[in-house]
Amino acid sequence: MSQTECGSVREVLPDFASHRLATEGRDAIERHLRSCGECSAELEVIRALMGAPPAIPEGLADDVLSALHVRRAPRRPWWGLTAAAVAAVAIGIGVSADRSATVAGAIPGWATETGEGQVWLSDDGLLAGAPSIDGLSDEALMQLLDDLSVEGAV
Amino acid sequence: MKDESRGEDEVSDALAIERARSGDEQAFGLLVHRHHASAYRVALSITRRDDVAQDVVQDAFMKALRALDGFRGDASFRTWMMTITANEARATLRRRGRWSEAPIDDVAPIASDDPNPAEQAVSGNESARARALLETLPEKQRLSVSLRIDDGLSFREIGEMIGSSEGAARVNYFHGIRRLRELMQ
Repeated sequence: MSQTECGSVREVLPDFASHRLATEGRDAIERHLRSCGECSAELEVIRALMGAPPAIPEGLADDVLSALHVRRAPRRPWWGLTAAAVAAVAIGIGVSADRSATVAGAIPGWATETGEGQVWLSDDGLLAGAPSIDGLSDEALMQLLDDLSVEGAV
Repeated sequence: MKDESRGEDEVSDALAIERARSGDEQAFGLLVHRHHASAYRVALSITRRDDVAQDVVQDAFMKALRALDGFRGDASFRTWMMTITANEARATLRRRGRWSEAPIDDVAPIASDDPNPAEQAVSGNESARARALLETLPEKQRLSVSLRIDDGLSFREIGEMIGSSEGAARVNYFHGIRRLRELMQ
């Protein structure tokens, strides 16, 4: 069995196992699996994982929405914003509300906390013995993948 | 209006985001209902504790709501939301680690009353065993496997999530799968 064929198959095994592949693709994978013990063994691991997906806590979405309401600022209820807008128009100032300021708490009464709000990514690849591969070039990564395929095919 | 007659499933994320930006509470609620499961799985994979993961999901949606105007749609809303959740989970672990003056990995058992992964591995069925063993992998391998298997993310999306290249995400995934095979034999 060629490494190239195994590599292509292994790439899509999760999609195969979760029936996300078209019929034509499924047929090709099934043909390959009938003659490749390595890919079949990998599929078993994937199916085992899929057999026990993490349970989503019941009511979590509602809890999230409730928490968003609980955290709203009591000094700025929805009707308060409306009254402020009417008052501003009445005295001729007009309301030129900066849209970004409004969206800082996009839903009236929700999410009025302030904070850094930054999206960042940590690099903890060395945690618990994880291989340090982040600095490797694409070529080096491809070599590593080839090595994995060779080791896996023993 | 035509869109308002649609069922929830027919409202795209893009439309829901647009409505949420203009103050539509139900539209953001739709996004929460649609994506909270993916966010929870990410939070659980990183924190390995259900109670902490639930708190992380709440905080992550709070941050997403605040940052909604900055969402440009370069990635899908789901991937964006999962990235915010991953960041929030890591920040939470760092805060808890600082408070308890314990290393990050020491504050993240799967659940306080559960047996440890090794015990689960010998007592459970194959699926439970595989899941328990997954918990023993390093974070990036664990997350790469979980995101590929549970959420069907592409390696490019996984790379964005774990702060690595697409190639590194692929290697982390295959390292994780190979390690699981070894552990399960």
